[in-house]
Amino acid sequence: MSDKPQLMNRNTFLRGTGLALALPWFETFATAGPNSEATPRRFLSVYHPDGVGLPLKSDPAWKDWSWFPRGGEKDFQLTKVLDVLEPLRSEITIYSGLSHPAVRSVHGHSNADQYLTGAATGGHGPYKNSISLDQVYAEHAGEFTRHTSLVMSTNGGIGGPRGAQTQSFNREGRPIPAMNKPKQIFDMLFVTSGKDAAAKLARSKSSLDLLIANARSLGRQLSSHDQRTLDQYLDAVRDTEVKLTKAQKWIDTPIPEVDTTNLHLDAEPKEARLYFQTMYELIYLAFLSDSTRVATFQLGRENGEGPHDLLSKAVGLGGAHGLTHEVKKPNGWKNLGTYNRYQAEEFGRFAQRLKETAEPNGNGNMLDNTFAMHGSASSSFHLSRNYPIISAGGKNLGFTNGRYLKFGSGNEDNQAGAGIVTDAGWRGKMEAEELPLAQLFVTILQRLGVETDSFAGYTGTLNRV
Amino acid sequence: MNPLPLAEAKEQGRLKSRFLQGNQDAAASEPAAPQANLQAFEKSLGPILIKSCLACHGPEVSEGRLRVDELDPNLLTGKNVDQWREIYNVLSNSEMPPEDDTDNPLTEAERGNLVDWLSRELNKASLVRRNSKEHSSFRRLTKYEYNYALQDLLGLPFNLAKKLPPETPSDDGFKNSSELLQMSAMQFETYRNLALQALKRATVSGERPEPVTYIISMQEEMQKATGGKSDKTFLATDDDYQKQINRQHFFDRESGTGFHYSNGKAMPRPDGIAGQNPPLSPVVMVLPRSKELKMNLDRFLPDEGTMRVSIRAGRSSMAADEHASLRLIFSAHTSNNANFSEVISERDVLVTASADAPEFIHFDIPLGDIQRNPFRKLTTTFPRRDEFLHIRNESNAHNREDPLHVLIDYVEISAPFYEQWPPKTHTAIFFESENRNDEAAYGREVLSRFLRRVWRRPVTTLEVDQFMNLFAEYRPSFPSLETAMLEVLATALASPEFLYLAQRITPESTNIKNKISDHEFASRLSIFLWSSIPDEELLKLADRGELQKPSVLTAQIERMLADPRAGRFTSNFVQQWLGLDGLQNATHLKDDALRAAMREEPVAFFEEVLHHNHSVMDFLHSDYAVVNERLAAHYRIPAVRGPHFRKVSIDPKTPRGGLLTNAAVLAMNSDGTDSHPLKRGVWMLERILHDPPPPPPPNVPEVDLTDPEILKMTLKERIADHRNKPACISCHARIDPWGIAFENYDALGSFRTRIKDKPVDATSELFNKHTLAGMEGLKRYLLTDRQDQFCRAMVHKMTAYALGRPLSFGDHADIDNLTKLWRTDGDRLGDLIHLIVNSEIFASR
Repeated sequence: MSDKPQLMNRNTFLRGTGLALALPWFETFATAGPNSEATPRRFLSVYHPDGVGLPLKSDPAWKDWSWFPRGGEKDFQLTKVLDVLEPLRSEITIYSGLSHPAVRSVHGHSNADQYLTGAATGGHGPYKNSISLDQVYAEHAGEFTRHTSLVMSTNGGIGGPRGAQTQSFNREGRPIPAMNKPKQIFDMLFVTSGKDAAAKLARSKSSLDLLIANARSLGRQLSSHDQRTLDQYLDAVRDTEVKLTKAQKWIDTPIPEVDTTNLHLDAEPKEARLYFQTMYELIYLAFLSDSTRVATFQLGRENGEGPHDLLSKAVGLGGAHGLTHEVKKPNGWKNLGTYNRYQAEEFGRFAQRLKETAEPNGNGNMLDNTFAMHGSASSSFHLSRNYPIISAGGKNLGFTNGRYLKFGSGNEDNQAGAGIVTDAGWRGKMEAEELPLAQLFVTILQRLGVETDSFAGYTGTLNRV
Repeated sequence: MNPLPLAEAKEQGRLKSRFLQGNQDAAASEPAAPQANLQAFEKSLGPILIKSCLACHGPEVSEGRLRVDELDPNLLTGKNVDQWREIYNVLSNSEMPPEDDTDNPLTEAERGNLVDWLSRELNKASLVRRNSKEHSSFRRLTKYEYNYALQDLLGLPFNLAKKLPPETPSDDGFKNSSELLQMSAMQFETYRNLALQALKRATVSGERPEPVTYIISMQEEMQKATGGKSDKTFLATDDDYQKQINRQHFFDRESGTGFHYSNGKAMPRPDGIAGQNPPLSPVVMVLPRSKELKMNLDRFLPDEGTMRVSIRAGRSSMAADEHASLRLIFSAHTSNNANFSEVISERDVLVTASADAPEFIHFDIPLGDIQRNPFRKLTTTFPRRDEFLHIRNESNAHNREDPLHVLIDYVEISAPFYEQWPPKTHTAIFFESENRNDEAAYGREVLSRFLRRVWRRPVTTLEVDQFMNLFAEYRPSFPSLETAMLEVLATALASPEFLYLAQRITPESTNIKNKISDHEFASRLSIFLWSSIPDEELLKLADRGELQKPSVLTAQIERMLADPRAGRFTSNFVQQWLGLDGLQNATHLKDDALRAAMREEPVAFFEEVLHHNHSVMDFLHSDYAVVNERLAAHYRIPAVRGPHFRKVSIDPKTPRGGLLTNAAVLAMNSDGTDSHPLKRGVWMLERILHDPPPPPPPNVPEVDLTDPEILKMTLKERIADHRNKPACISCHARIDPWGIAFENYDALGSFRTRIKDKPVDATSELFNKHTLAGMEGLKRYLLTDRQDQFCRAMVHKMTAYALGRPLSFGDHADIDNLTKLWRTDGDRLGDLIHLIVNSEIFASR
């Protein structure tokens, strides 16, 4: 009886490890395409604070400067805010009616932290976050590349609780510091040598060898049943060795050489155009060289002041955060719309660049194998609902673009919370029904090849996407 | 006729025990090779089964997929042991045949014969299968055991294992169950990181760091705040003085001058030295109940190390019915809507001294573990860089005249704080030695000592050599012996002999019935009672081979239970046994103080029973409760003051006593708005009687809450309606009645006699037609008819926890035997621990 094999289905096993492991999806099920196993799948999320302009219909500015498009799924019309994306119309999708339920009644300034995590980060008191979308994918895709992910923001670092300056959070919900200096990012990606890392790896290797010897000597003194239990330990050590070998492989692999023509490595946020374009170019080069397949980029932090507030200088406007407070002043909606238009323009430029670059292995262009999203955790003034989200690319992952997808109900013309510049907005009762953004995240993860059916406690995917 | 008093029910119930009647020592005197008694079955018992059971469990109808005509009567070799056990259970609990089934009667004599035969056969079968146990105690440490082991090994009081994933409880609720304690590469890497981090926290290098010290004297602060002017102050002689004193304020006890004050700012004193005890100042900060002093400490606290906060505090009044404690909160407000605050003191500390003779209260806070202001090192001023410490008065002050306030005259904050230099945690690893200057010899000494503690056994030279080789390889890359050695020690802390509880097969042990070694025994014992590795005393006794001598072992168990580390056993065992994690999911519980008190109560009750070695029948019913003020208020028990738990006698009319009516049990087995009889019934069966119901079948029809007829019903009626559906009835009839007996307790565990406009109907009928009249009826029934089942369940649960593995049929005879011995001596909780530790099963692989 003691030799009875331990029957254990995979769910029991996963339960036992206490970890939601991301299991590799059978690649062949995921997408079509003859060479799809070899094609990298990439993910980018760009976050901008302070939301977008959402004037009331009765406001003369509504016609031109309301962020969301008009019309239906395919025959939508872009307002002046997003018309810069018209040339990319067939490559993009715009979403409405999505938000994370846990913080719909929390002040928008507190919410950049949870845009990619969906956690109940709250408005005050003790603070706890959870893993972000990009990092779930990085756990899956990180092993294929030198860097598991590229985490960037204009302000750098982690920020503070409810004042994040990074979009990425690890499995324990701890923030991952963002890089904000182009020169440092470039060096990390394309210059740094791995000398120290190599010595550290060698030490780790010796330590693991000793542990394996120790485990084997213990194993010889155990019953066969107990040996099988100990085998799990040995497997864990061996898996760690495999990881080290891979890391060693990256140290031994020459760093890719890239074309630096479009880089301005000394650019600072106050030179908004140069800075923006350089940061996007770094993501582009990281993707092109397959140095990583996962990137996040946060444009500034919620609630003004700091380097990011200077980004609106690119379009000749004052502090970016102030624009949201001044919409009721002359040209207010237009100014905010102009700044949002500029953000969309840079995002579009990046998407265009991916589109114009053939996938190195010949499977379509780079945009077809990249899901890039751009959005904010507030729509109208401090209002953490109806997130304004654009995505680009992902055709080979199964995304059909050229659409305006409205979710939820009761807010078809995006007027809930529109035109408000007081805190009555975010404190107000939720009148429309919205769907959990986490369901879009599940769709994204599945198409990127991660086998999962839930994110942040929300199960299921979004229809129609 | 008056119902039987519960104390008498207990006496009567004991008389009914099968464990206490003869015949039972058959198990002990069984011949070496037991034989199945097939003769008796064929002659008389088989025919009885056919006569009484075949109609429902035969070829025509086979309820519960059971056919008595197809069972193999040889329990020793046959494959129907599980079915026979089930038959044994329903027969001995008089659940079968159903009472209303008059066509298939079973006389009491027949029942008795069947039960006796089955009991013997099951026992023999268990003994036969004993050596082919399905489950092993070989397992890794749980998350909490790993944490305690590191704490005890390194002398660090912090939570060191936060990054490990939580454990999955077994079906029994235990987190230390070998089958579920898996290992993965991610987990293994986490162990390596945690070990190195912990070692770095335990050790130091270089000179003693200069601490940052804040000294806050209320006399100076008041002077600063008022600027010596009196226009904003008030006087104790003012007419509206009573109105002023419920806000926090400075007060000069000599002049009677007061000044409202809540937020201050302090800067480090470059020349400040912590640990002073200056003369008492007449000026104090007065903190009324729930008020706090918030100090801005700017941005100068170090990143790591211990922050010692010393507060000299006293009570404004010594009224015995009032108490006050201090709590520390840490916060920052970095920008608009980007703020946080969290409680950083592990527990509130009572202020006991009087205002005239105040005493210091010390808090030690690990600065590296708490949420800090991440902007504190910016060179610019936005976002804000400052950090705040709040000193808060948690109190029950309620007297109208002269309510209790906390008076503070002096506060010191110093970090990093070291009791001594180098700290003890450092010298425990890097001790003084005459070989201090000979790296090879000293390294070997350090490693030998460390490995012995980590592996809980003597270490061979060869084993030390292996680690010395690693040290020799690392040494050139590090500036000092210590820094290189830490990496080697971290490797030892990732070794399987630290992370796993080993039980070796050695040439000697194969001869003596799978006995584990003395050192393995020491580990098993300390993991059981301390959730951690053995201490020096246990190791030494194991070295000398004396630990398992009965007199030594008894003394050690007593020593271990008297040690504060035994609190890990009581809280972990009780929380897992009763499933108290479920309380975290009780979203209807809004009051955190109440939730905490609820969670504590069953543990405190268990400790009361353990420390006085009471009978575990007290878990079913007791004439006392163990409560603190918060919970006593919840239960409407008068005159309990203070946050600590203590035993309180309750009169028979108070509907408490025992574990079943603990608010935690009632609240977590509720559904958010009301009681949940099904959950409560399942809980009773699983946790108290160890008779878990089968899982619900697939496609259970939902209760249709859109049906207006259903909406009109009370919960009990709804359950009855649901239960009467054919797919549900067989299981629910065995679960629901147990839960309905709890109906006098609402979702928060408060007693009630009405639900909405109807009187509570807590009367139910068990599957064996026994009527339970509410909680008292339930208790009476358990005490008169289910003592054996409950005692066996207790033995089973405690043994499963002690061994860290699920029990299986091969353990059946051992558990029966232990139950019998235990019942003979009076079911005392302390006895049970001694009995298990002294048992053969505890000393075996």
